[in-house]
Amino acid sequence: MTAPLLEFDGLRVSLGERPILRDVTLSVHAGEAVGLVGESGSGKSMTVKSVVRLLPGGSTVDGSVRFGGIDVGSLGPADLRRFRSRDVAMVFQDPRATVNPVRTIGDFLTEVLRDQGVGRAEATRRAAGSLAEVGVDDVRRRLSQRPYELSGGLLQRVVIAAALLTEPKLILADEPTTALDVTTQEEVVAILNEQRRQRSAALLFITHDLELAAAVCDRIAVMYAGEIVEILPADRLHDDARHPYTKALLGSRPGTVPPGERLRTVPGTPQSALTAPAGCVFADRCPVVESACRDLHPPMLSVGSGFAACHLLSEEVR
Amino acid sequence: MNTPLLEVRDLRKQFKDFVAVDGVSFTVPAGGSLAVVGESGSGKTTCARIVTGLEKATSGTVLLDGAATLDRRRRASFVQMVFQDPYLSLDRRQTVSDCLGEVLAHHDREMDRRSRAARIDELLDLVGLDRKLGESLPRHLSGGQRQRVAIARALAPNPKLLVLDEAVAALDVSIQAQILNLLVDARAATGVAYLFITHDLSVVRHVCEDVVVMCRGKVVESGLVAEVLEAPAAAYTQRLVASVPRPGWVPSRAVSRG
Repeated sequence: MTAPLLEFDGLRVSLGERPILRDVTLSVHAGEAVGLVGESGSGKSMTVKSVVRLLPGGSTVDGSVRFGGIDVGSLGPADLRRFRSRDVAMVFQDPRATVNPVRTIGDFLTEVLRDQGVGRAEATRRAAGSLAEVGVDDVRRRLSQRPYELSGGLLQRVVIAAALLTEPKLILADEPTTALDVTTQEEVVAILNEQRRQRSAALLFITHDLELAAAVCDRIAVMYAGEIVEILPADRLHDDARHPYTKALLGSRPGTVPPGERLRTVPGTPQSALTAPAGCVFADRCPVVESACRDLHPPMLSVGSGFAACHLLSEEVR
Repeated sequence: MNTPLLEVRDLRKQFKDFVAVDGVSFTVPAGGSLAVVGESGSGKTTCARIVTGLEKATSGTVLLDGAATLDRRRRASFVQMVFQDPYLSLDRRQTVSDCLGEVLAHHDREMDRRSRAARIDELLDLVGLDRKLGESLPRHLSGGQRQRVAIARALAPNPKLLVLDEAVAALDVSIQAQILNLLVDARAATGVAYLFITHDLSVVRHVCEDVVVMCRGKVVESGLVAEVLEAPAAAYTQRLVASVPRPGWVPSRAVSRG
């Protein structure tokens, strides 16, 4: 098997004494889409930011993130800049925070290309082509418009067009559709998916919506309190989920039970790496917790079609 | 036939030359639960704000229990509102007990201190908050706990109607499930009716009986939740239902763009 494009190897991040990520091990192969799913504070965004070294100041990193076999942490300033501008692209939740409000859409789209030495006319031509591909109409006019003149859905398409322009090998998408309406979300996700497949770029897709992740990704990694607790193929999510947290997430969505019945809830509130117990991170809220769970950190076990970190699964694996 | 608890007739709201709500009518029966669904800009929140009196309609009527105008205090003891973001809707310097006590004192001036304290405990029990949390400030509470406080505050004057404007949208899924169960329980316990403003169709299926679908200020479809969401008649409702991620869903680029 070929070496993965992106590899998190025992990644730990802490800010002073406070842990943010406790142990993230995950790989993304070229052309593969992996979904990172979890609730607030689970460390999904930090995991993605660690790829491009956009961690908060003063944070310490253990373990490594390798892109194409090279440790991202070892890149010098020039290489890091090159890596950020050519090899990866990011799409964030709020397009209005991504696009410079006082420059035109054309300026925004051509900036990176111009920086890479592409001529003005050629850059504009490529920007227009990219916009058309993501389903933006009236491209000439759009290029001279400013962000406030575009709706959120349209602007997010501009951000995706910009992300695709440099032909990145990896796209990092952090809740790219959370701020959009559902019908717009469907379009944006469809475009992202279609363009990614055409260019065979890999995708690391963050969302809190398990169903959305299952529709967009090949594999899903479920995070809780700074750790990955389960990894499984997207199409096996409903049948093969083994970790109690994944099951709880699947069961707590309205629509999983007939109307009028009670939703299955998880007691307590989502924890971060700081507040989670020392053993299994989910032990405080787990409906099937046993005494060993609180003291011992569960290893990642290969179960069925995926992997899960839970003591209760160790017996059936053996 | 009984007078509906809330009757909205031919409501219209214009902001300068933009028509936000355009000829909207719906009713909520006593103890009923009506969902108003739609995407951003559909006018659903404006409708909610007009019903609670936070906004004045350009034209049209809002009848609460058959009456057109109530003074503010009487209106507030009839209809209360829960907002989306519990981080913004609570006074950060006010303890939970003070927050509830203030509302109680405002609506029942005769109430003595002891019965007020008893009612605060009753409200905390109703929304599933530990009584000890009564002394806490909002910053010591999680998002889910804050939303429980906001719901307790809205239920304090014993309203007949609760307007919930995206009240579970900002919560994590596991917390959202807790709050949805709470809303179902609170309705069963108090008989309060809900006007549920939301964009999330699975939430609608779970807590509502009737639904009104809005698009660009107009009602495009209305009826029983089971009928409208299972067999939508309007093209817009069909698109809305089809774009919800679910098992086996394949996102596609829509033919028409808004």
